[in-house]
Amino acid sequence: MSTSTLAGSRADADRRPRRPPPSKGVIAALVVAAAFTVWAGREIGFTLRDLAENFANGWVVIQQFLSPNWSFIFRVWDAWVETIAIAVISTCVGVIVGLVFAFMASRVTNRSGPGYRVMKLVLSVIRSLPDIAYVLIFVALVGIGSLAGILALIMFNIGIAAKLTAETIDAVDQGPLEAADAAGSGTFSRGRWAVLPQIMPNYLSYCLYIFELNIRASVIIGIAGGGGIGQVIDVQFSRFAYENVAAITVAIFVIVLVIDQLSQYLRRRFV
Amino acid sequence: MNARDETPANATASAGRASAVRPQEPSKARSTLVWIALLLVFAGAAFLSDARWSQIIGIFTDGGKYLVLMAEGLFQNPLQEPQSEQWTLAFERMMESVYMAWVGTLLGALISVPFGFLAARNVSGPVTVQVTRAFLNLIRAVPELVFAIVIMLPIFGFGPLAGALALGVGAVGTLGKLTAEALEGIDAGPVEAGQASGASRWSILRWAYWTQVLPEVLAFWLYRFEINIRASAVLGVIGAGGIGSLLSQLFGQREWEQIGITLAVVIIVTIGVDAISGAIRHRIIAGSGRSVSTEEKAEATV
Repeated sequence: MSTSTLAGSRADADRRPRRPPPSKGVIAALVVAAAFTVWAGREIGFTLRDLAENFANGWVVIQQFLSPNWSFIFRVWDAWVETIAIAVISTCVGVIVGLVFAFMASRVTNRSGPGYRVMKLVLSVIRSLPDIAYVLIFVALVGIGSLAGILALIMFNIGIAAKLTAETIDAVDQGPLEAADAAGSGTFSRGRWAVLPQIMPNYLSYCLYIFELNIRASVIIGIAGGGGIGQVIDVQFSRFAYENVAAITVAIFVIVLVIDQLSQYLRRRFV
Repeated sequence: MNARDETPANATASAGRASAVRPQEPSKARSTLVWIALLLVFAGAAFLSDARWSQIIGIFTDGGKYLVLMAEGLFQNPLQEPQSEQWTLAFERMMESVYMAWVGTLLGALISVPFGFLAARNVSGPVTVQVTRAFLNLIRAVPELVFAIVIMLPIFGFGPLAGALALGVGAVGTLGKLTAEALEGIDAGPVEAGQASGASRWSILRWAYWTQVLPEVLAFWLYRFEINIRASAVLGVIGAGGIGSLLSQLFGQREWEQIGITLAVVIIVTIGVDAISGAIRHRIIAGSGRSVSTEEKAEATV
């Protein structure tokens, strides 16, 4: 071997470090993901051909949708009031029950091992059912109307509020807890005075977030018979009155935007 | 002996000291007012909601009956007819929902990447950012349901494909916004290093920006997939197939035994997919360097 090639190869090696070999785990994960995507696409009959062929059908609807009938927003005034009222009630009840559940579902506040695990399981079961399933269940139990919507949203809110709050409780500062333990406080006063003040700002911002979610969800619960503005949308859709639906969609957009701004302002004050 | 105790007003002084030991409680007037206001709002809402509260009794009268029926369906031998068919049907429809959510999320995620770059202040110009953000907010505000009924069903007809596309369009708004926020939070060091070494604009975006946000963005995608499995159920009710169609059909016929089986399948599959997706998310965020803590593992499996 001559010296020049040796020097050349060393210079090469110095200039550019060798590229690390791709990780086997990542390649395996990508292959699995790609295979799953192909399989899923075949199962649901994925094709974009319809987009080219039937776009005209859709365009007629979109055109109707682009000329909203603004006066319709105010004609269904009571449905709006109902929607907001549903959101207020279910948020209030849901976040209070959720708070209690959160205390039971955190290692910090629930020192009984089995109790903690059972509560975690209950919460993941509650969260695993989609909101529409709750609406269907409660419509079957209490009939069509806003009561079914309220009950369904309460279940939905309990799941979210408990999960978010329990995660916040897990991360509290240990200092006050140790102080409470040292002073010999019981489980309740420990939670009330050592944990609750710490999680309060986050908890309040979750409450506002859940209220916002409930306004958005009002469309969904109405479709399945849970009252509110969603029921109006359902009726207008079955009449193909897309210009009315468009007006309501824009109004929901504005309401969500206003609530979003309001809750951002309140959150800045809490946190 | 304290100097103050020698003063004539001995009693008041010690009382004053007692109050120094225990500070006066802050006024509760404000929190009381807030509570009263909340209570009034709640009462007003209960009145305005137009709910027939007396029907809440139905939960206790019919609830028990239906629960027994559902349990009867659940605890019969699942390998026997007709239960085996019902279990298979529920599982097939649930998987259809999962496929719908997967394809939709992936499609939406891929489309959201360029929008994320366009909406990040440290990548694009101020005008582009504002326009893109307004567009993403608009998509976020429209429920997937509306996309499905207005745009997708007339073009693609009833079925899971329309549902998947509606979920995809809906995902573009949230994922685009989250990607933009992740891009704005990156470390500027690698970007400067790229510029100093004369890298092209494309290489900087690819190797300085995208590499830094990739784990976070992938975790968002998976999280959105979990959400979309639930959202796909809603689309099923209006005819996009999947578990939602089956549920609304069964509830219409009041087939409580089969409803019990179907709800059990929904719970099992959702918790299973959440666990897998959650474990992958933790792994991606934690990186291979740090092992996932036992607590996180417990959370992923429960």
